[in-house]
Amino acid sequence: MMGTTNDAAQDTSNQKTQTRRDFLKITGVGLAGAFAAAALGCISVDTRDGRKLKAWRTSSGAIVHDPNLCVGCRRCETACTVRNDGKASAYISRIKVARNFNYGAAGVTAAYAVADGQQGNFRLVGETCRQCSHPACGDACPVGAITADKKTGARVVDAKRCVGCGACEDACPWGMATVDPETKKSTKCLLCDGDPSCAKTCPTGALAFYPWEEAEALLFGTDATSGATAVSGASA
Amino acid sequence: MSATFGYTGKILRVNLSTGAISIDDTMKYIDFIGGEGMAMKIMWDEVAAGTHPFAPENKIVFGTGPLCGSGVPCSGRTNITSLLPSNPYHAVSSSHMGGYFSVELKYAGWDMIVLEGRSPKPVWLRIEDDKIRLEDARWLWGKGIFDTMAMIGSQMGKEAQVAAIGQAGENQLNLAVIRTGSSHSAGGHGGILGSKNLKAIAVRGTGSVKIAADRHALMDADKYLMSLIGANNQHVVPRNPQPWAEFTSPTSRWLAKKGLYWGAANPPVETGECYPEDMQSVGLRTQKAIMDLGPVAEKYTVRMGGCAHCPIRCHSQVNIPQLEQYGVDTNVSNTCMGFFSPAGIMINGMPDKPGMEKGEGAMIGRALGAKLADDYGMWCNYGQIGRDVMYAYSTGIFKKVLPAAEYASIPWDKLESGDPAFLIDFYDRVANKKGELWHIADGSYWLAKRWNFGEDYWNDYKYKLWSKLGFPVHHSNEASGQVGALISCFSNRDAQNHSHMNFIQAGLPINLLKEIAAEEWGSPDAIDDIKNYKPMNEGKAKFVKWSLTRSLLHNSLTLCNWMWPMTTSPLKARGYRGDTALEAKFYSLVTGIEKSKEDLDRDSERAFTLFRALTVRAMKTADMRNEHDQTTAWVVTAEKGKDGKDIQPFTPGTDRMTQADMELGRTLVYKEFGWDQKTGAPTRATLEALGLGDVANGLASAGLLPA
Repeated sequence: MMGTTNDAAQDTSNQKTQTRRDFLKITGVGLAGAFAAAALGCISVDTRDGRKLKAWRTSSGAIVHDPNLCVGCRRCETACTVRNDGKASAYISRIKVARNFNYGAAGVTAAYAVADGQQGNFRLVGETCRQCSHPACGDACPVGAITADKKTGARVVDAKRCVGCGACEDACPWGMATVDPETKKSTKCLLCDGDPSCAKTCPTGALAFYPWEEAEALLFGTDATSGATAVSGASA
Repeated sequence: MSATFGYTGKILRVNLSTGAISIDDTMKYIDFIGGEGMAMKIMWDEVAAGTHPFAPENKIVFGTGPLCGSGVPCSGRTNITSLLPSNPYHAVSSSHMGGYFSVELKYAGWDMIVLEGRSPKPVWLRIEDDKIRLEDARWLWGKGIFDTMAMIGSQMGKEAQVAAIGQAGENQLNLAVIRTGSSHSAGGHGGILGSKNLKAIAVRGTGSVKIAADRHALMDADKYLMSLIGANNQHVVPRNPQPWAEFTSPTSRWLAKKGLYWGAANPPVETGECYPEDMQSVGLRTQKAIMDLGPVAEKYTVRMGGCAHCPIRCHSQVNIPQLEQYGVDTNVSNTCMGFFSPAGIMINGMPDKPGMEKGEGAMIGRALGAKLADDYGMWCNYGQIGRDVMYAYSTGIFKKVLPAAEYASIPWDKLESGDPAFLIDFYDRVANKKGELWHIADGSYWLAKRWNFGEDYWNDYKYKLWSKLGFPVHHSNEASGQVGALISCFSNRDAQNHSHMNFIQAGLPINLLKEIAAEEWGSPDAIDDIKNYKPMNEGKAKFVKWSLTRSLLHNSLTLCNWMWPMTTSPLKARGYRGDTALEAKFYSLVTGIEKSKEDLDRDSERAFTLFRALTVRAMKTADMRNEHDQTTAWVVTAEKGKDGKDIQPFTPGTDRMTQADMELGRTLVYKEFGWDQKTGAPTRATLEALGLGDVANGLASAGLLPA
């Protein structure tokens, strides 16, 4: 294994189950199920009113990108893919700088010269996986290939189980999960065993790992109900 | 084609006359490394001597190398090789650009693109992985490069990386660039795309560069390299005293310090102390805007930009609201000559207007000119265009050669008073080929003929012409005496060589540099103290050969020669030594083809000797010494001291050379390469030893092998 130590990533004190309200409704699962969720990272259960519910252990944190500090070198992209895929690529990088690089997230507009991006005001909007508390990628996966990593809580893809269907890619509201066209396996941020390769390689400190409470505030805003499903409106 | 590492294994060939698209095998050119080396082989094999650069028969090669896209630091460069229009013999030459184009090309699955022919109508080349199409460019033709990129991006997707020409290239000016990204220009070959009716190449790649080695081995090598890297130009000593620094250097591009900011970032970003071991401040070391645009630019600096996979950021990205009054966008990105060449055109300078801060006028003018030249796609012949304006203006030649009505219509008053608005008028006339003035973009050789420049143009130091082939100094005699001087004698355009420059300007004391020189080139006397040069010696010849071949190696791998080689490091614990075997280490790890430093040196020598053979073939003479390698007269003429007397060469205070010493220098460099010591042409024995027997036969049949 790659990982070495990273104090922030190893701090598991704030790992908690985010779906307490749903848990109250759970029948027939009880404490045993909750323990199972903690051990496996996530568990699928039936609620009293007959809904399927997946409960996820919270991630230890997430990587956050600072558009003000980023210099657009995109060393993070190769640091990510060399470590995790044994090859260098921008498309499957779990940190996405390339796609907003030229013209910002909005893409080409008539006002491109003053909009985000290298062809405009130079602002570089990199995107990172939010490690959502209710990860749409994991909920969408038909084969249960996405689970919470035991050590970091990151929502990780088990390549052996992944069938490359692209459901995670379609489901993620942030467009982060990406099926590798060469391997037909999904790639998404796995927090590099607690020592994210992208952040280590960033020459200006524009990428950094934050513990969950801080990451949530930075990525979703301080008052947000975090998670992909909160945005998609499907959350309780 | 078998599976490859580093290399994608595929070369894309497009015949613009027929629209035929085909795939070639990279690996058949493997002896030439990649990029520039492979392009030399293709030009030798496929483009006949005497072909005009703008003829359909000419080819242009866009090349990446095996390290490009792998994430190896400073590996984002694109090498472009073709016949060079500004050269009197249209000899083969290369131009290079940084940015992100080459990396995208690799990820699309292509090592190189070879273009030939001439499209019957304007087109652009669309590359989406293995899907290749020629697209109608009628709506793009006539547009500047910024809008061209945006229009292509709107069709192809915002991620597309585009290399394009502006009006200057469309109009087939000799001095035209091919540009990519916000500010990355390859000078000299823009007109060739124009002649082929090809407005742009746009690439989107979803693939990868495969790594042969265990991933951890590559990551470890990256970490090691990052411990050795300095600031821009591999300056390893800071300009300002730092708690960690033993030395400082007044010319260092390691400019970061407490209290120095990217002032227009929100909030402003302090560059700070940048401890060498702090990997999260490497990108802050070079605050280039205050060099490019003066100290006043600090508060206009949004960030530092640069190229793919390079932690050292050397492109100044500024927002200057004052530019709105000139009708251009306020965001400008560029570096070095991109800013200095417009300032050169403004021959009386650009003084501050009332109410301006010190240096604000020049900053505005430089940024305005950079933006205009980048949109029109104008090349400056490494700043020579400004000195050509200076000569033609100060000698009254403009008045003589321009038709009276044209002369009267040019706002010379703005040039006189230093109003940057002159540049708006100037670039429009030149790039759009208006009147007679546009011939200023013919390049020095052709321009001097057309406008009948006097010998003083070539011989007076202030015009900085290095060679009668029409190119200027570019880190020549002022860069370590004979070393820089001889490096500048072997190219067909300005030397574009930083192998030596990075070392001599590293910022370390001369005694330390001499120690390192002894280790690298066998003699401490390979380098002298600045402006205290000693006569030519063998160590300098080895240093020259190494600089020439390393530069070609970098343009082949492709690594940035403005950072590589890593001859020195900021590490006191290593005695400030770098590691010049790192190219070979990365080559072996990435490609899985085991090569030592000596192996790659040999490969580079092969490619450089082939380049030499191409020049011999283009000039139809083996007498390189007299026909190609000579300098202009000022280089070997003693300069006057303050007392009006000649400063004797090889005494303190001058960087002038002597003819006899330079001839000895040529002889020693020819000897290092195994070329004929009389003529400087490659011999059959040397060509055959390098595996270039076919080249020897080609030269022999043209009567161009030395006796």
